[in-house]
Amino acid sequence: MAALRRLLTHPIFLRAVGIVVGVVLVYASLDKIARPDRFADIVHDYDMLPLLAINAFALLMPWTEMVAGAALILGVWRRGAGLMATALTVAFMIAIAQAELRGLKIECGCFEVSGMSSSEASWSLFARDVPLLLGAVLVWRRG
Amino acid sequence: MLRSFLPSGATVHPASSRQASGDRACPSFCPIGRAAAGLWRLGARRFSHALRAGALLCIAVTAAAVWNAFLPLGIPWLPSPGNRVGIPRAFESSLPEINAAEALTLYQAGEALFVDSRDRKDYDKEHIPGALNLPQREWAKLWPALKGKIAKDRLLVLYCYGAHCGLSTRQGKALLEEGYGKLVILDYGWEAWTKAGDPTVKHPKAGNA
Repeated sequence: MAALRRLLTHPIFLRAVGIVVGVVLVYASLDKIARPDRFADIVHDYDMLPLLAINAFALLMPWTEMVAGAALILGVWRRGAGLMATALTVAFMIAIAQAELRGLKIECGCFEVSGMSSSEASWSLFARDVPLLLGAVLVWRRG
Repeated sequence: MLRSFLPSGATVHPASSRQASGDRACPSFCPIGRAAAGLWRLGARRFSHALRAGALLCIAVTAAAVWNAFLPLGIPWLPSPGNRVGIPRAFESSLPEINAAEALTLYQAGEALFVDSRDRKDYDKEHIPGALNLPQREWAKLWPALKGKIAKDRLLVLYCYGAHCGLSTRQGKALLEEGYGKLVILDYGWEAWTKAGDPTVKHPKAGNA
């Protein structure tokens, strides 16, 4: 247990986790930044936000991912960026879970929005977000 | 150290003498200022990461605003008229909306091809007579086979379920990108058409793409 604790709080380990989470966030943001209109369509499908807020959310969210991811990669304000990454990941997980619970068969919009290879929101994608959340929380709390 | 920041002639009293003189040397706002500074220091220590997250968020907002201002397919911050979300500014005038009465006029004149972007099962239940079913959710699968079969100068009336359905608008965007220039969206879609009592047909699979 002590060894695990030492590993989880080791600066090099925390730095590596931050870089991995950062790379995932930056990669996830690229397509959404390039096509905010298509990302807005996907946000609309999730049926969680009022219509008035969808465009603004579709414009802001990818840049939040990008900035948080870049800060984690560069090691700048890591705990702040970790907090942002945690908030983003929790938001993704809530969105996917409510879509699944309501039976919405919609594109995930996780990484791809302009191609046709975008995967459907599902519990497997929800599970995929769990390690990302753990990494983000670790960087936020211990980074 | 502190003296170097003070104007010439000012003196610093030891804490004990300040208390003894009842803080009379300190201006009236001093206690508030000290309390604010204390709170700030406490906040900065305890919530530094939250403050930095806020600063990163401000950077993200600025970047989004600048990027969207120059992006050719940028979207308005608030939805375009009719609350249609995700319409790039460049496309707004190319995807006008018509109401059910205007759509009926086009239908009766036989001037337009109606395109039903709803799911196959809903089209099969009931649809506008002569409408082509091109389910937007199956666009990637269906469009390659249909490409080239619809004249690009044909007027297309796109419709889906109702008020909050974005499928026809999304299909409109895709068709604009494919070079179709004469597109209109039926406002409130199928809901408006049936509410107006306009003709429908229940032939299953009559016009599936």
